[in-house]
Amino acid sequence: MVRAFVLLAPGGPAPCRVLYARTFGTPPGAGPGGPRQRLRRKEQLLVVARQVASQCQLLQASLGRPSSPQLPQLPDEPVSLQDAPGGVFQMSPGDPFPERVTVVWLSVLALAFALVCEPQENLSLAEITLRRLAPRLLLSLRLLGPGADVLLRPDAADGLLDRLLPHGQMLFLNERFLQAVDRELGLKVSR
Amino acid sequence: AGPEAVDGLQRLHLSVAATKYPRKLDGKFVEQLQTVLCSPKSPEQIQVLCAAILREMSPCNDLVLSCDEIQDTKLLSLVSSVLLAQGSRGEVAAVGQRVVQGLERRLPEGQSARFLLPVLANVISLSPGSLTEEQTNVVSKKLADWLRYASIQQGMAQPSGGFFSSPRTKQPAPITEVDGAVATDFFTVLSVAQHYTQDQWLNVQAFSMLRNWLLCYGGPGTSCPEKLWLPHPWKSTPGRLLPPRERLRDKAFAYCQRLVEQSTRRPLKKEDGDLQKACLIEAVTIMDIICKQDSSYVCRAVSCLKILHSRICGDATYARALLPIAQLFLNHSKQAAVDSDAIYKHLFSDIPALLFHNPSLAFEFVQFCKDNSQLFTDSSSIFRQSFPNLFKFLAWNSPALISEFVDLLPFLLDPGTATEIFHLLLDLPCLTAALDIQLRAAALPVSEKAGADPAGKPATCLEAFHHPLYRSMFQYLLRSRAAPEDAPDSLVPLRQLLGSLAGSPRVVQCAETVPVLLELFFRVVAEFADGSLINQLVVLLLQRSDQLYDIPAFKEDVYRVLGSNLAMLCGLRPALVVELSTEILEFSGAVSNIQSKEAIFTHMAWAVGEFLSVSHDKRCTVEQITRFFETLEAVLFEITQLRPQASTPSCAPRAISVLMATLTKLAARSQDLIPRVSMFLSKMRTFVQSPAVTSVYCEEDLEEILIRATELMNLLKMPSVAQFVFTPPVASTRFQKEVNDSLPLALRMVTQLLEPAAGSMPV
Repeated sequence: MVRAFVLLAPGGPAPCRVLYARTFGTPPGAGPGGPRQRLRRKEQLLVVARQVASQCQLLQASLGRPSSPQLPQLPDEPVSLQDAPGGVFQMSPGDPFPERVTVVWLSVLALAFALVCEPQENLSLAEITLRRLAPRLLLSLRLLGPGADVLLRPDAADGLLDRLLPHGQMLFLNERFLQAVDRELGLKVSR
Repeated sequence: AGPEAVDGLQRLHLSVAATKYPRKLDGKFVEQLQTVLCSPKSPEQIQVLCAAILREMSPCNDLVLSCDEIQDTKLLSLVSSVLLAQGSRGEVAAVGQRVVQGLERRLPEGQSARFLLPVLANVISLSPGSLTEEQTNVVSKKLADWLRYASIQQGMAQPSGGFFSSPRTKQPAPITEVDGAVATDFFTVLSVAQHYTQDQWLNVQAFSMLRNWLLCYGGPGTSCPEKLWLPHPWKSTPGRLLPPRERLRDKAFAYCQRLVEQSTRRPLKKEDGDLQKACLIEAVTIMDIICKQDSSYVCRAVSCLKILHSRICGDATYARALLPIAQLFLNHSKQAAVDSDAIYKHLFSDIPALLFHNPSLAFEFVQFCKDNSQLFTDSSSIFRQSFPNLFKFLAWNSPALISEFVDLLPFLLDPGTATEIFHLLLDLPCLTAALDIQLRAAALPVSEKAGADPAGKPATCLEAFHHPLYRSMFQYLLRSRAAPEDAPDSLVPLRQLLGSLAGSPRVVQCAETVPVLLELFFRVVAEFADGSLINQLVVLLLQRSDQLYDIPAFKEDVYRVLGSNLAMLCGLRPALVVELSTEILEFSGAVSNIQSKEAIFTHMAWAVGEFLSVSHDKRCTVEQITRFFETLEAVLFEITQLRPQASTPSCAPRAISVLMATLTKLAARSQDLIPRVSMFLSKMRTFVQSPAVTSVYCEEDLEEILIRATELMNLLKMPSVAQFVFTPPVASTRFQKEVNDSLPLALRMVTQLLEPAAGSMPV
C-alpha cells in the first residue's frame, strides 16, 4: 500500500515546497493524538519532500542537466516522460516514519511526484503508477501554466487519485483499463 | 450551491492545508461540512471538497460522521477516507465492518463493489486485526470467485442513445491477450477488452490487493498479532469444496501461473510491456507467500519458475523479475531438492555488470542482498565473492544507495576480503569513471572500436579502454568477482589516465561517499582483525596514501579518516610500531608527507611517541628509539628553520606540536637524548619570533607552540617524572586510560609546579 502521495516543487537554489500531499489513512495508536498528530504528519511529508528534492538535484547534476529546468512555452504542449529522471530510496525507521518506508519519485520539468510506500511494495508498479499520475495531474491541474492552480484545486487531484490510487491501493491496469479510467474522468490524454 | 460554493470551499481547504499549525474551525461549521458531505443532493465536487477539508483537519474532535447509513458505494469510499484519517482503531474497525457488510449483501441497483475493495485494503493495512474470522472467510470466498470467474467476454459500451447503438443485438466479443490472440483461459489483469464489465473490474481490484490479503489472512502465524489462528482440521481433498482460505490460495496460485504465461507474450501496446513485468514480479512474490503458507505448492512453483527463468534470463528488460524468482528459490529450493546455483550465479555474476546503471534495479538488488544477508556469511559462496560487482551499483548510484551500503558493508567484510575491499573503497571513484568509459565504449559503432593504435599512446580515455597498455587494468577494476591474487602491480597509470574525469558530477558524488564507508570499514575490521591483518592494513594505508585518485576534497577527507584510524590501529596493536619500523621510518622521514598528508603524518608521529617503548614491546631497543628520534628530529629541524626558503614546506602548527611532544617522549625513554631535545625546544622561542615565520603562522598558533615547547622542556628537567608521565603502564583498565587522556592536564600541572610565578619563561 502507498502511505502518502506528495507533489512538490524541488526548487534548486530555492527551498523545496510541498504543493499537494495526500496521506491514505492514519495508523492507529502510532503516536500523539490531536493537533500534534496533524503537525507530525505535515512535518513527515516535508521531510520526504526535502529528501526527494535533494535526490532529484543530485541526479540532475550527475546527468549533466541544469537543476532548475525551464517550463515549456505552451502550457498545453504534451510532456514527454521518456527521459524524466526518477529514482527510489529508503528512509530508515524513525526518520521520519515509525516504520521503514520506500520512496519512489519522478521529476517532470520543475516538479516532482513521490509515492511513500510500505516496505516490500511492488516498486515496478509504483513507477508505473507515478508515470500515469504525473501527466494526468499536469493536465487537469494545469500545472505548467502560470499561477498556483494546484493549491486551489484539491478536488481535481483527489479525483485522479481516487481512480488511479484509491485509498493508496495501486492498481494493475493495462492500457485498455487505463483508457476506461480516462473516459470516466473525462480526460483526454495524448498517447 | 454553485461555483461560489466550490470556490469558497477550495479557498477554505487552502487556508487549512497551508499551515502545519492547527486552525480552528467552528464546531457547527464542521458539523455542516459533514452533513453536506453525506447528503445525496450535494454535487460530487462539493462532496470531494468537504471530505478533503475534513481529512486535512484530522484528527477531528467534532466528527459525527458514520458510514452505517450510507448506501452509495462511492460516497461510502469518500466518507471512509475521512474516518480512516482519524487514527482511531475503533473507527478503522467500524469502517471494516461496514465494508464487509457491503460486500456480503447484494448491493442496490447501480452500485458497484469496485469502490469498496480499496477501502478494505486500507483497513487491513492500518489495523490488521479489524476483521473477524467469519468476515475474512466471506471476503476470501468472494476474492476467489472474482479472481477465477470473471466474465471472459468483453463488456458493452455505455449506451449513448441514438440510432446506431443497439446493444441487445450485438454479440459481445471475447477478451484477448495483450498480443492480440483470443484468450483461451480465464480473465486476468493482462486481459484486453474495449470495455470492461463490473466483475472484470473486481478481478483487477482483487488481484491488486491479493498480496497484502494473503500476508494478513492467508495462513497461520502470519502478520496478524491480534488474531490467533487455529490450524484447519481438514486437509484439502480433490473434488471436495475447499474451505475459504485454502480455496483462495488455490485460485490465487492458478491466477499467478496464468500471469507467468501471459507475461512473456509480446504486447501490441508498448506500455503494456511495463505492466507485464510488474505483474510477473507480483505473481512470483505471491507464489512465494503461498508456498510459505502451504508447502504442497512448492513443487509446482519451482518447476513453473525454472521454465520462466530460462525464458527470461537473457532479456535485460526482465532483469528485475529475476530477484523475486531467486528469492523464492532461496526460500524453498531445499525442500524441492533443486539445484538453483545456476540461477544465483547468473544473478550475481552477470546482472550487476550489465545493469548497474539502472537505478531501480540497483536499489532492488541491494535490498535483496540486505534481506538475505545471511548468505554472505559463507565466505566461499558466490554471493560473497561477487562483492566487486555489488560495488558497481554504489559507484554509479551513490546518493541513492549510500545508506543501503552502510548497512550492507559489514556483511561483506571478513579477514579474507578486508584488504581487497580496502583497495576497492579507495578506488571507488575510479570505478565510477571506468564504468562511464565502459558504457561509452559499448555505445560506439564497431568500426571505431578497433581504431586505437596499439603501438602509440592512447589519446583519450575511450581509446585507452581497449589499448593493451591499459586493458588489463580496466579489466581488473571492472572485475565481477573477488580476485586478490590478480591485482595488477599498480593501477597508478590508470588513475592518472582517469584524471580527466575526476571533475564529473557522478564521480564527485561517489567520492563523497568514500569517507563514510572507510570509517565504517575500520570500525568493523577492528572487531575481528588479528595482528597480521592489522599490520597489513597499516602498510597498505601508508602505501595507498600516495596512490589516490586526484580529487582534492576527496584526498583531504580520506587522509583525515586514514589518519585517525591509523592511530586506532596502532592503539589496538602497539607492537606494530616496532614490527613495521622500516615502513614507518620511511614515511615519517619524508618531509613532503608532512605537508601533503598532514593528517596521516601527525597521527603517525603521535603513535610513534605513544607506543615506541619497551613497555609495549620487549623488542624495542635503544637503537630503535634513537633511529626514530633522529628521523623525526631531522623533519622537525627542516620545518622550523628560522629563515624558511621557498622549498621549505609550510605545515600545520599541530604537526609541529606533535613532533615536539613525540621527540620529548622518546627522550624520556632514552635519556641520552634529553640534552638534544632540550636544546631544540629552547630554540623554539626564536623560531616563533622570527619575522619570516610570523608572516606564515597566526599569533595564536605560534603562542600555542611556544607554550607547548616550554611545558615539554620543563618536564624534561625532571627526567624521572617525565618518564612516568610519558610511559605509563599499558592502559588495560579504564582508569589508566583516563590517566593517558589527561596528559595535557598533567603537563600543565607539572609546569605550574616548576614555575610558581606565572609568566616567567626561561630564555
